[in-house]
Amino acid sequence: MRITLMIPCLVEDCLPEIGLAVVSVLERLGVGVDHPRVQTCCGQMAWKTGDVARARALALRSLELFAGPAPVVCPSGSCAKMLRTYPELFAPGTPDHARALDLAGRVFEFCEFVLSLPGAPDIGAEWNVRAALHRSCQMDGSDAPQRLLSAVRGLTLLEPERPERCCGFGGLFSLQFPAVSESLLEDKAHELLALDPEILVSAEPSCLMNISGYLARLGRPVRPLHAAQALDHGLDLGLQGALTGALTGGPTWR
Amino acid sequence: MEINPRDFREQSEKACHDATLRAVLDHATRYFQAKRGAALETFADRETHFARARAARLAALSRLPELLEQLEQTATAAGTRVHWAADAAQAREIITGIAQDCGAKVVVKGKSMVTEEIALNPALEAAGMEVWETDLGEFIVQLAGEPPSHIIAPCIHKSRADVAALFRAKLGLLGLSGLDGLPGQENLSDAASIPELTLLARKALREKFLAADLGVTGVNIAVAETGSVILVENEGNIRMSTTCPPVHVAVMSLEKVAATLEDAADILRVLPRSATGQKMSSYVSVLTGPRRPNEQDGARETHLVILDNGRSEVLAEPILREALLCFRCGACLNSCPVYQTIGGHAYGSVYSGPIGALLSSLLLPAQDTRDLPFGCTLCGACKRTCPLGIDHPRLMLRLRERVCQSSGTGLAGAAHSFLALHPLFYRLAVGAARAVDPNLDLLPRLPGFPGLANFVDTRQPPELKKPFSAQLLRLRKKQARTKKPHTNKGDA
Ligand code: SF4
Repeated sequence: MRITLMIPCLVEDCLPEIGLAVVSVLERLGVGVDHPRVQTCCGQMAWKTGDVARARALALRSLELFAGPAPVVCPSGSCAKMLRTYPELFAPGTPDHARALDLAGRVFEFCEFVLSLPGAPDIGAEWNVRAALHRSCQMDGSDAPQRLLSAVRGLTLLEPERPERCCGFGGLFSLQFPAVSESLLEDKAHELLALDPEILVSAEPSCLMNISGYLARLGRPVRPLHAAQALDHGLDLGLQGALTGALTGGPTWR
Repeated sequence: MEINPRDFREQSEKACHDATLRAVLDHATRYFQAKRGAALETFADRETHFARARAARLAALSRLPELLEQLEQTATAAGTRVHWAADAAQAREIITGIAQDCGAKVVVKGKSMVTEEIALNPALEAAGMEVWETDLGEFIVQLAGEPPSHIIAPCIHKSRADVAALFRAKLGLLGLSGLDGLPGQENLSDAASIPELTLLARKALREKFLAADLGVTGVNIAVAETGSVILVENEGNIRMSTTCPPVHVAVMSLEKVAATLEDAADILRVLPRSATGQKMSSYVSVLTGPRRPNEQDGARETHLVILDNGRSEVLAEPILREALLCFRCGACLNSCPVYQTIGGHAYGSVYSGPIGALLSSLLLPAQDTRDLPFGCTLCGACKRTCPLGIDHPRLMLRLRERVCQSSGTGLAGAAHSFLALHPLFYRLAVGAARAVDPNLDLLPRLPGFPGLANFVDTRQPPELKKPFSAQLLRLRKKQARTKKPHTNKGDA
């Protein structure tokens, strides 16, 4: 099986290690990965600021990039959701609408996709670690990360008191309402720290960046890992890792 | 207190620095959520009942003009005088007129958001009448000279000590100290118990009920089939307001209609559970016309004011009309992390929280409400909570679109989108940024985003790194060179 990889702009330029971990995990699970270049932005930022015309233009670019029958996998709940929103941008009955519908039906958030593979949720990963999970409201209530991480042998999955509560990022929101955003982030950070975790895991890169940035400023850094990075390292430590070897030959964050 | 959503951004930024307010809100919203959660847990076939309530509301919206005409007929037949108000000013005029016609000096009010919306109290007071809110929470915010800060819990932002202090100051001024069997006002300490405070308020309000010439309430549901007005409450003050004074005026926004009593029952099965976590509220009044000749109580004269105030325009909006499904249970407020943090007053309008931001944007002048749909992280807690399945985030986005159409995105947004559309420029721009500023130190000084400075202050920003696509390419080449076997055959 081959998939097309959709890399969020934040991952491309600031958190590339997440993308590498995604490729590493998928390839070790027998999935071929194509990464069409040059990806820019799925249009989420324009869409969320109400700039529908620009969102539509960016959606058209994505429709070209991700044409074809292969599933599209994206290591971000919010970008995956944006791709699924494309049909709303085009008038029903038009060819673009049909293409958008086709794409929306093929989009998977990374954890959802891994969960659909044979053998999942136990993919042979192993890691003795206390992991705090931030579910991220952008995952639309999906429990795929919980299910995958719970199946990692030795991993203790910890969830904060209000697991579904927003971390306060909200993209533009954090810039327009900085104090409110910070208040929410403060609440989230303290609930997470109360778990005394060794690593902080999320399937949403922007939340991860938001929370870990705050913890660093607090002087209480907890290693932030995307679910793909946690699974990749778990595969290194597990049986599967010994058999196949990773793309990167070691933890991607080193 | 002047209320205007124009200052929403400023007010909300200020509110979250108020530690006491945050603590009170945190406590209150958690309390409501816990009560509601417990009630819903034991609610058999919950989803079915939610769906039925939604269906009843949808049916009402889809046949609104027809149902309102029917309501006018049935209510009139029951002896109620029906008035149509196109906007707030007209509604105020109608109600003030009714009050003057019956020579009212004292007006008692049951809790209602719609009379707040039309700013009725100042109008009646200007006409020389004494107006008393009789819901305990409303009474408290009235004494404080503040607007309500929550749909169902108007004084959610006040602690017990706040209320005691307020009663000391205000009820003392009113000469109501030294109540029988109760400590006098000088003894009313900040630690006064809630029953004690309630008793004080009750005593004060009793006299107003008995003196009142006119009772004004809102409407939870108006039944087109029977011409009845349904009101739910826990304190009994609404029933008193509708039965003690000789004249009762019920004010409804036009979407509050239900086709049949059965539809009303479907709504009532969900509303109290979602609002206060009760199977049914302590009082449910179904009022059909004035007191009949052989009856013991009830108003001698009943009026129903049906208010539009911008709603028929909203009804014509394909996505936004969904906001009119709302039956004001208030659950989305308690679930909203932003509301939990800033409270209701920051919204600068009668309606607060997620549904408030939507309703105010739809009902108030556009230039005053531009910031409201942006004060939201789109986390969807409201949508998950709403028993009627209102998709608040989707509606927020549609409102953002309207704001954007009228004023455009900021410079930075436009630049980002231009670059994202032109991949080569995008790479060049990121490349340039990378060379100049790999740690993103300059970020806070970029024009167009004043919030950036704060963002970077409180969070370590990410650094720009060697891009993923370049790293992948390099690794692929290495892979090919070492010919290390992989479980998969293919490669990009
Ligand atoms: S929008 Fe839904 S949850 Fe919010 S007050 Fe209305 S009915 Fe209740």
